[in-house]
Amino acid sequence: MPIIEVSGLTKTYRVPVKGEGLGGSIRSLWSREYKDVEAVRDISFQIDSGERVGFLGPNGAGKTTTLKMLSGLLHPTSGRVTVAGFTPQDRVVAFLSSITLVMGQKQQLLWDLPPRESFALNRAMYGVDPVRYARTLDSLVTMLRIEAVLEKPVRNLSLGERMKCELVAALLHEPSVLFLDEPTIGLDVEMQVQVRKFIHDYNHDTGATVILTSHYMQDIAALTPRLLIIDRGSLRYDGKLTSLAERVAPERRIVVKGGPSELGELGFQRVEGDMVASLSPEGTNQLLSRVLARWPMVEVSVESPPLEEVMARYFREAT
Amino acid sequence: MAEAQTSLGILWRALPTLWRVAVAGIVAYRAEMVIWILSATLPLVMLALWDAAAAGGPLEGFGQVDFARYFAVTMVVRQLTGAWIIWELNYAVRSGSLSPQLLKPVNPLVYNLFETIAAIPWRLFVLVPVCAGFLAWRPEILFVPQMWRVALFMVSVVLAFAVAWLVQALFGALAFWFEQAMGIYSVHFALWSFFSGYIVPMALLPSWVAALARWLPFYASLGVPVDVLLGRAGPWEVGAQIGWVLLLTFGLQAAWTRGVRRYGAVGA
Repeated sequence: MPIIEVSGLTKTYRVPVKGEGLGGSIRSLWSREYKDVEAVRDISFQIDSGERVGFLGPNGAGKTTTLKMLSGLLHPTSGRVTVAGFTPQDRVVAFLSSITLVMGQKQQLLWDLPPRESFALNRAMYGVDPVRYARTLDSLVTMLRIEAVLEKPVRNLSLGERMKCELVAALLHEPSVLFLDEPTIGLDVEMQVQVRKFIHDYNHDTGATVILTSHYMQDIAALTPRLLIIDRGSLRYDGKLTSLAERVAPERRIVVKGGPSELGELGFQRVEGDMVASLSPEGTNQLLSRVLARWPMVEVSVESPPLEEVMARYFREAT
Repeated sequence: MAEAQTSLGILWRALPTLWRVAVAGIVAYRAEMVIWILSATLPLVMLALWDAAAAGGPLEGFGQVDFARYFAVTMVVRQLTGAWIIWELNYAVRSGSLSPQLLKPVNPLVYNLFETIAAIPWRLFVLVPVCAGFLAWRPEILFVPQMWRVALFMVSVVLAFAVAWLVQALFGALAFWFEQAMGIYSVHFALWSFFSGYIVPMALLPSWVAALARWLPFYASLGVPVDVLLGRAGPWEVGAQIGWVLLLTFGLQAAWTRGVRRYGAVGA
């Protein structure tokens, strides 16, 4: 059953246009011109309860604008959105209590106080029962392994520790819909992996719906089986990540680690010390058998093109 | 309306925690707070000036003791009615940090109100020794006001705090429309200093100016309680304070609703 329903969603910003230089600044004092910028254009989709969905697109594509309309921060110019049965921009308390928005580049923790104070404040603001709060906090802190930082002022935490605490603060009221805008931005690889695993496990354990935007393809690959691609304000693709990869970049790569140069006879090329051949999925087994028949001791792997390449090709085709 | 009622219900239960965290925040900023409080002792500087001016004899009925009494009470009222929401709101709107605050069930304005009230005991902590020192230096300023004036003074201080906070919140809300909201506020501050009684007692302004200024929000946010205690204002001026609180509350509600909508319109 859909928990999010979006139909004909459009957002147009009215932005002032200022002429160049001092003259332009002075002119804009009394005759300000505006132009309309269509950030999101006639988008429709549905998301079922418990799904994990990734919003992907280049900078300025309209991902964050869409996320902000879904969470109630922005008023749509036209179209209809319902989330958990509510109209987000009304921001009624029951709606605010059923969602959360984590923005990787904005923080809600109180800067000079330990995270525990921010958590207590959120508990009070959301009216979470103290016993339930203690249980949820304990489980989130254990999952994210942040016992040691609860009493340190937020300003003294590392970026990764802070993001983990942001996630705890955002989830203490046990929301059923998670909007995550670039939750791993700026984190090192190890921390990205931990945050991804946490989001995955949280969705698995609680059945919460997760909507995620990210620039990191690994986030999308690891977390969201369903993909919505937004480009220049329009929805270009809505479907499984695997289906998109099959459509845009169906070939496989056979990689023979440190393989002999004679593999060149079978169409392999040397790439960074390995021998690599690209071919259609149908031809993969046949070539693999021929390779292993002649060189039974080599280390071979079969790979799909990385997601970055799939997306790059997708956007190249689209333009 | 249903939303407002639920919010109030949550707020009521959240009060002890809001209070505790707000106090923790104030304590975290204790050094800044002390400097801020000391900077609000300008009335003592004004006293030195007026004291010298009145050395040759009373000015418009104000002798040296009257000036000392006036600026001592002004300093106390100023401390009890201090607000800083304009800086917080202006920063939150311009930096976008208002966004996460807007997605919480407690309105960011209400939270700031609690933070501001939570700072009052801390202000008293500095104010009490300053006042004690002042009394030791000028014991002749002690006087016993009538009980009804003391009661009206207390009501008037609360109203003055409300007016001061609401005016600042309204100026803070200008950040939704203007990049230079702080600049506009500094113009207001210049007018406020003059017409609130902060640097000149109302009784010393030209009579036609005082007749007008007596009913303006500047005076309602500081001078009324001072003059109520010292016998130069009464229930009418307190009535005007109530009028301003109502008017400013409606004004803030309208500005906030439109401003938040506009904040969304420009990208939040």
